[in-house]
Amino acid sequence: MDTPLLDIHDLSIGLRGDGVGYDIVRNVSMSLFPTEILAIVGESGCGKSLTALSVLALHASPPLHVTSGSIMYDGRDLTKVSASQMRALRGAEIAMVFQDPMSALDPMFTAGTLLTSAVQAHYKVRYDVAKNRALEALADAGIEDPRRRFAEYPFQLSGGMAQRVMIALALVNDPKILIADEPTTALDVTVQAQILDRLKQLKAERGMSIILITHNLGVVASVADRMVVMYAGEVVESGTVEEVLATPQHPYTNGLLGAVPRLNSDATLVPIMGRVPQPNDLPPGCSFADRCGRVLDVCRAERPQLAVRRNSEVRCYNPVG
Amino acid sequence: MRSLLKTVVLTLLLLLASSFAVFAGIRLSGGDVTAARLPASATAADRQLFRHQMGLDQPIFKQYSTYMGDLFRGDLGNSLTNNAKISALAVDKIKNSLILGATSMLLVFGIGIPLGMIASLKRNSWVDTGITSASVAGMAVPNFWLALIAIYLFSTRLGWLPSAGQGGIKYLVLPAFVLSAEGIALTVRMTRSAMLDNLNQDFVRTLRAAGLSERRIYFKHVLRNSMLPIISLAGLRVGQIVGYALVVETIFGWPGVGQILVNAVLRRDYPVVQFFALLLVLVVTLGNLAASIGYTLANPKLRK
Repeated sequence: MDTPLLDIHDLSIGLRGDGVGYDIVRNVSMSLFPTEILAIVGESGCGKSLTALSVLALHASPPLHVTSGSIMYDGRDLTKVSASQMRALRGAEIAMVFQDPMSALDPMFTAGTLLTSAVQAHYKVRYDVAKNRALEALADAGIEDPRRRFAEYPFQLSGGMAQRVMIALALVNDPKILIADEPTTALDVTVQAQILDRLKQLKAERGMSIILITHNLGVVASVADRMVVMYAGEVVESGTVEEVLATPQHPYTNGLLGAVPRLNSDATLVPIMGRVPQPNDLPPGCSFADRCGRVLDVCRAERPQLAVRRNSEVRCYNPVG
Repeated sequence: MRSLLKTVVLTLLLLLASSFAVFAGIRLSGGDVTAARLPASATAADRQLFRHQMGLDQPIFKQYSTYMGDLFRGDLGNSLTNNAKISALAVDKIKNSLILGATSMLLVFGIGIPLGMIASLKRNSWVDTGITSASVAGMAVPNFWLALIAIYLFSTRLGWLPSAGQGGIKYLVLPAFVLSAEGIALTVRMTRSAMLDNLNQDFVRTLRAAGLSERRIYFKHVLRNSMLPIISLAGLRVGQIVGYALVVETIFGWPGVGQILVNAVLRRDYPVVQFFALLLVLVVTLGNLAASIGYTLANPKLRK
């Protein structure tokens, strides 16, 4: 395989404040390779969004801080670059699309103003040049009538159209990496499919690398190349989508798949019993131990490490299969 | 735009209703108009004759329709106390009050908004604490007390500024600051909280992710969003200034509408009270109307 475009290594992000201090994201490692879609999967609160936000230093800091590890991009550690260097990267090299497009767009300005501001934030170009780029980006985002949408305010757009505007905002400066944080969660199912198709086309046509954050395994199966499963702030399994979905090794991944309803099967849904431990109250061993049907004594005593097994990486003493 | 039309119609109805309320209110408030005009030795018959001449013995609705008829013909009536034409004395008083009121409104927003922005930028620092504490004081201190303290400090003690009267900008400083103090304080707090609230909105993160500078995000996007509540409550600030002007003009001997109105009320000079009170109602309603129009224009959701 090539060298990774973005390499997150041993990243921990913690809450630090008056008398409190615990990590919410713990020792996360993952790599994004050129021209691939990497999915980060997990329940809400598992740290997948926070991990992604920290790439562009968009997490709320304070109280959240990167407490260890590195995020390497283009020979630089993004956890250590200055605020102005980070600003130059945002949108131009690495762009981000957020979950709820209605609240994520400034209601007081038209789509066109937002897009041209984004261009002019990075390039000293005349307004008409910026406007042409904006119109191209709207078309690239799958909008059929870019001139009309350019002049519209967010409240005049449907949810799906607003999400396309946000994708255009991410594409307008032609970044190398796109991070999409639950980009389809707030949308209708038909619109979801269109947005996901657009992401696949961006990968194929522009050679983009995309990190897709989702809790929807169906989405992962249909668009992603590789996937990372997160649980309670750490990576529990990662590998190619085919591998992980067909032969899950971590009991949590296995449990997740058992909890997905299927149309062509009569199998009953099996919920994962118990609750996710809180980041300030983690067990000393494996964070999944209390909910795991395959738990061993060692699981409760010592935290397992990520280890290569078959073609995947798994954080488990007693993996499935 | 449709809602704006509704506002205009309601404003006109409100003006009509207020004109009657003012008219009836001063007549029902007791007191005797003849006491100010006629000598103490006047007999009951003299007083009755005076009331008859002035039409004050007629039913109140008859008086009201006569008054409104005269008003629409441009006849503001005469003062009961010295028989002077109200239109003659109105121009100067209105001009003086407009100078004081407009200056105060400028101070309310010209000082309030920047201070609120600074407080939100430097939140939880000593600068923020200082501005916030001063604005709490500004809201808590009654303006008549503030006026006395200001006169004592800047006129009596330091001798920097005149304590009363009119003539040049020096005379304007103390009354304008006292009149605007509470408005400034409220605007500071509203601006600060609106800025902080909008800084936490999702759209700020989107703009950051697009690579916009913090300055641009703050001064263009967050500020524009934060101005909506301030514009929408600007009408209240007008009302506040008008109401406080009665007190502040009297204390500082500022020859404006407030001063003449207070004196006229004390003398039961009905025509003078009616005209100037109605004028104040007009200013307040127009202020609110302007705020509604401003809000509609500033908010793309209503403008479209």
